[in-house]
Amino acid sequence: MTTPHALRDITERDGTDLLLPGHRVQGWMITNLIGAGGWSTVYAARPANKYPDRTGRPPAHPAAAPADVALKIMPTAGYAPRQTRRIVESARREVELGRRAGHARLIRLLDSFVLEAPDRPALDGAIVLVMERAAGSLRELLDAGVAEADRARLIAGICEGLAHLHRSGWVHADLKPENVLLDGDRSVKLSDFGLATEMTGTYGYAPPMGTLDYLPPERWRAPLGELGVKVRPSADIWALGIIIHEVFGSGASPFSGATPMARGAAVQEYGEGRAPLRMDQAVPPFWRALAADCLAPTHAARARHTAESLLARITAELEARGRGTGRLWGRARAAILTTALCGIAGTTLWSDAARANSSALDGLQGATAGTIRVFNAEKGCQERADRDPQCSLGLAIDPTRQYTADNVVPSRVWHGDVLAVDCQVPDGRAIIDEADLQSTRWFHVRLPPGSTPPTAWLPAVRTKDRPALRGCPHPATGR
Amino acid sequence: MSGVVVHLPQGCSGADGGEPYGDAVTLRLGPGEVARFGRGSATIPVELRLADVAISRLAGEIRVTDDHWQLTNHSTTHSYLVENPEGAGEYLRVPPRRVGAPVPFEFARVVLPTRSDVPVSFQVFAPDHIYLDPEAMGAPWGRLTVTAYSLDETATYFLVLVALCEPRLRDQSRVAVPTTPQIVERLQGHAACATLTARAVSSHIDYLAEEKLRIGASDPREPGKGDRRNGKREEIVGLALRFGLVREEHLTLLPPLTGAGGRERQTAR
Repeated sequence: MTTPHALRDITERDGTDLLLPGHRVQGWMITNLIGAGGWSTVYAARPANKYPDRTGRPPAHPAAAPADVALKIMPTAGYAPRQTRRIVESARREVELGRRAGHARLIRLLDSFVLEAPDRPALDGAIVLVMERAAGSLRELLDAGVAEADRARLIAGICEGLAHLHRSGWVHADLKPENVLLDGDRSVKLSDFGLATEMTGTYGYAPPMGTLDYLPPERWRAPLGELGVKVRPSADIWALGIIIHEVFGSGASPFSGATPMARGAAVQEYGEGRAPLRMDQAVPPFWRALAADCLAPTHAARARHTAESLLARITAELEARGRGTGRLWGRARAAILTTALCGIAGTTLWSDAARANSSALDGLQGATAGTIRVFNAEKGCQERADRDPQCSLGLAIDPTRQYTADNVVPSRVWHGDVLAVDCQVPDGRAIIDEADLQSTRWFHVRLPPGSTPPTAWLPAVRTKDRPALRGCPHPATGR
Repeated sequence: MSGVVVHLPQGCSGADGGEPYGDAVTLRLGPGEVARFGRGSATIPVELRLADVAISRLAGEIRVTDDHWQLTNHSTTHSYLVENPEGAGEYLRVPPRRVGAPVPFEFARVVLPTRSDVPVSFQVFAPDHIYLDPEAMGAPWGRLTVTAYSLDETATYFLVLVALCEPRLRDQSRVAVPTTPQIVERLQGHAACATLTARAVSSHIDYLAEEKLRIGASDPREPGKGDRRNGKREEIVGLALRFGLVREEHLTLLPPLTGAGGRERQTAR
């Protein structure tokens, strides 16, 4: 749907910019128009002669010159110098990424050059990127309807591409179905790295641009800095969550609204905790859970779901169904085996259980008898709902012993968690919190089902509640 | 996109028994959030308290929807006016009992009638309006990559921004960013800015920095916040030029630069 529209519109807009089939661009001959974005026009092309290199020499890597290519032409004429800089910057990102982070799941950049076309002033000086030609895009497939058998494979392919990008230190920053291209055999190739950003550490800076439907909640309020807006891999993971929902939920975003602005508003309401995530029930449970993790409302909550950990879960799921024996899975399995062992799934178990538990009790105002609400004296942790490990609080095995590492249960709790409590001791070890409050009182609390041990001790400085409770039998005789 | 800002200037909330009531109030509402306004009471709480006796306990409410906001008029007798202060008299009348009238203005002043000569009014800013990139015109926009910080090129704040950027755009790269009085002087010849005050220019600059570009907030614990503030206009200019929000073609929006004026501006430094 996009392509025919784009075609008509740019024809009406400015026919002089368009190249007709048969036109030669350096060593390439245009065969037809693929599409047009804000800054560029993409054509299908093939070598105009045997060796499409400008020099007429055979290319250094024969494999790098396939029969059909896509030419992305980014005109620079008619723009003010500062706009030209923006175009050059975008092309530079694509070339840089293509040179340094090539992968089977990324569209290959074959060549780039500046077009010399004195006879066509509109195109003279245009930057041309010669890229591997894909058969179509995920957007076209979504519009036509994605076959059920293809869905899991498509998402796994996107995950592979993202895992490679992120591992190589890049963030795509504009992931959307238009930029997920498909080969003849429907294997995935990510494309359009005009906003792709190389990270320094855990984040990078991208130009302040994006596609409304795929922006994570934090981007709507992101400040603009000297280098652009901060982007982190978790932004790609958010976009992946939207795409998973689109692929499995008949093309619809999980956020309702008639326009991208309305859906953007829904994303913000969800991000601020004022609206729940409402996914299409037609999305199968495994994929719904996966999309929900990708769509965690904050960067911090999303950060523990990396492309690799998601890929590991997908692989495991497909294998469990006995359908994962194809060549794709053999390769993917080897690549992700190590990450699967990193215990990502293991550490999330408790926090998921705790979340289910606390949300079930969240409706209670304060704590009723029999429950206490965890209080964290660290101000910065009180506003966070993302269960950042740095904001977690420990529970003791024995309140009369020194409160050290070997006296702490593996389970952690966070500010706002509501815990069932059955009794208390008034004379345990003295605990002083960050605000210098001191107490020797300890509460005997029940941990969510499945926790080992099933109960533990919370120091009274970690809650503001003081329910009337019986005294516990002496803890030394307990656990 | 981050919702709307409701601003009740100091002393504008009406007279309560002759006593001017209230400090300035600023509310920030995210999408889907609601603010009620009126005289309020213990049983009818309102987020925006207007003290004039002619105003109902619950006079109306503002709801943020998508990138704009809606006004509900709870009065059974009075229409409310929503004026566009930059719209040369453009306004909207919201009749009694109207629910959710959409307000299309980025800047709006809601005017409530009172018995005295001075109506009660407050301002609502909707900085989230999105404008298409000039290169993207004509293409289906919903799925396009767009600039996330879009500006209304017909707004006064944009004129102020162009005036701020003018010396750099004219390649006088070493000259400093103009001061507020210089901006006032530069825009004086413009039909829409004849009465522009220094204070208004400062407000426009604050609006650009805080609501439109959301210039990276400095660490509140960081000392020397005053120095940072002085760097604000330089920062605005740097960002606007770097990300192409203001370009050479926008210079034509400014009143013609008279030769003498130009020289004067340069030698003034």
